[in-house]
Amino acid sequence: MLEIRNLHAALEGREILKGIDLSIRAGEVHAIMGPNGSGKSTLANVLAGRPGYEASAGEVLFDGQDLLALAAEERAREGLFLAFQYPVEIPGVNNLYFLKASINAIRKHRGQEELDALEFLERVQEKAGLVKMDEAFLKRPVNEGFSGGEKKRNEILQMAVLEPKFAVLDETDSGLDIDALKVVADGVNALRSPERGFLVITHYQRLLDYIVPDVVHVLVDGRIVRSGGPELAHELEAQGYTLYGREAGASRRAQA
Amino acid sequence: MGGVSTVNPVAVTAVTDPRAHWLAAATETAAGLPPELALPELRAAARTRFERLGLPSRTLEAWRTTDIAPLRGLEPRRAGTGRAPDAGWLAGLPAGPRVVLVDGRVHAIETGELPAGVSVLGFAEAARRLPQVLAALDTLPGLDAHAFAALNSALFEDGVLVHVAAGARLDALTLAHWSSGDGTAVHPRLLLVLEDGAGAGLLEWQGGQGTYLSTALTEVRLGRGAQLALSTVQDESAEAFQLGGLRAQLAADAKFSLRRWVGGGRIGRMDLALTLEGEGAAAELDGLVLAGGTQLLDHHLELRHAVARCTSRQTFRGVLAGKAKHVFDGLIRVDPDAQQTDAQQQCRNLLLSKQALTVAIPRLEILADDVKCAHGATVGALDEDALFYLRARGIGLAEASTLLVRAFAGEFLDALTDEAMRAALETRLDAWMEVAA
Repeated sequence: MLEIRNLHAALEGREILKGIDLSIRAGEVHAIMGPNGSGKSTLANVLAGRPGYEASAGEVLFDGQDLLALAAEERAREGLFLAFQYPVEIPGVNNLYFLKASINAIRKHRGQEELDALEFLERVQEKAGLVKMDEAFLKRPVNEGFSGGEKKRNEILQMAVLEPKFAVLDETDSGLDIDALKVVADGVNALRSPERGFLVITHYQRLLDYIVPDVVHVLVDGRIVRSGGPELAHELEAQGYTLYGREAGASRRAQA
Repeated sequence: MGGVSTVNPVAVTAVTDPRAHWLAAATETAAGLPPELALPELRAAARTRFERLGLPSRTLEAWRTTDIAPLRGLEPRRAGTGRAPDAGWLAGLPAGPRVVLVDGRVHAIETGELPAGVSVLGFAEAARRLPQVLAALDTLPGLDAHAFAALNSALFEDGVLVHVAAGARLDALTLAHWSSGDGTAVHPRLLLVLEDGAGAGLLEWQGGQGTYLSTALTEVRLGRGAQLALSTVQDESAEAFQLGGLRAQLAADAKFSLRRWVGGGRIGRMDLALTLEGEGAAAELDGLVLAGGTQLLDHHLELRHAVARCTSRQTFRGVLAGKAKHVFDGLIRVDPDAQQTDAQQQCRNLLLSKQALTVAIPRLEILADDVKCAHGATVGALDEDALFYLRARGIGLAEASTLLVRAFAGEFLDALTDEAMRAALETRLDAWMEVAA
């Protein structure tokens, strides 16, 4: 479903991703763990098409399609979803209105009719229940005045409403207490399906106790230095990333 | 207005005095006036004032930011009588009681039965029925140095008086003005007089076709505790010069709320002069300016707190595209006796293009010592992070920009109490975004 080959990417001229190879099939949940500054969020932003993040080499295929050639909105319409690490506050834009514009843009792209007001509202209310979000939040401006946890729940709500083919969760656990973390994880788990893929980016193993991945990758200094099963996350929790810092160095020498 | 140089006034004077040229219509105008509107003293004073002031040039501080050079090429003629407003435009006006003016003359008064104590009259009839009210024309303070206000007073041929007697109330009335263009100068005039405790909600809608100059002048006098909510939609033609003015005088506890939607005209400048003359008077001024192409849209405001315990709020927003320019020049003057004044002024601008320009000139002249005055001006582009957030949810760049502009304009639109009008302006905003952004 998502095929990343030798991806190099730079931000403001500084190379951050230095050759990523990653293959995620439908139905799989992959986790990427790594220390701060290893390039985790850069990978998320490059996949979502944030302006300023430039892929300098390599390719990304999304269901066989050249993802990097698409504008951010086209990627979303094709079924890619990014749950933001820092969801943006948009004063003056009503959350419901935003969701409706979003879902209809995606439906239009798929050749589907726009949802009528009632269908839309029913769908949003159902999903809001899934992430235990108070419906009052739906009527407020997007993320404005939301707590950290409310913002992350709003991300998962959007994901649930939009039903993407593939979702990238960028440090969705950061800043969450354990209760909020469980709510977010439950929301994600409810969406797991044989047709859908996930890339869960996190600094901590904690989230992966609740969203159990099929594969864990360790990202250090812009490269995936190790991949393994869920047990790898626990290993990292016990040992930290220092070991991989050295390993990364070793692998660089080995390649040279 | 780059590329257009200011005409050397000396050279022009040597050929023909432009003042005489601009007043040339006066004789013809006077001949066509009903005797009630001859108003010889008012006209003579206005002519003298205009002759003294002349057409403003950028050497004047008040006109430094408004280059009216393109107007100097216009040789304005008096509009012929009997023209009809555009049918489509008329059909697009909000439903309900209305008065339609064409080229500064009353075309139709369609008010139905008005509430007791409310009069809506053309000036000629007002001169017969309410001469003591009409006598307020040109007596309110402000705009003394405004050449186009003087021109209006010298040349207006008709106008509408809205008079609301003490305690009476007029809920809704549309005052629609159509300019038929053809290189004419039109001088619409409104006089809005609310006696003590009266209330009114008025909508002024300005539109037109082709090239013309409008000096539309509105005068507002509010008695004690009177409340006027006036919304203006400036939707003049793209070739128009709209150089109008408004002066308002508020007695104690009077409340004046003005909401201006400004999107029309090649050059559109509004000079506002408000005087808070009675304690407890309150003025609330909101503006939304949408400027694209090479439009120049200005607001120049002088708000005087003459007595104690008055409040004023000004919030002007500009959305600028293309090479447009928006000027907001706002002076708040607090007289020595105006203690406990509370005055706030905000000017916020959103630039959709790197070539658009905004000039904010907030000014405070505070002569009292116990006052609360604040002003601020901001300029910025669309929030990149917000744009990306919307796009990452499948919303295209154009729609995302429109959403953010609507959000920026939202406080202005949300404050409009008339649903139909708000819906009409939202549609207009979207249409504007399609062209401008």
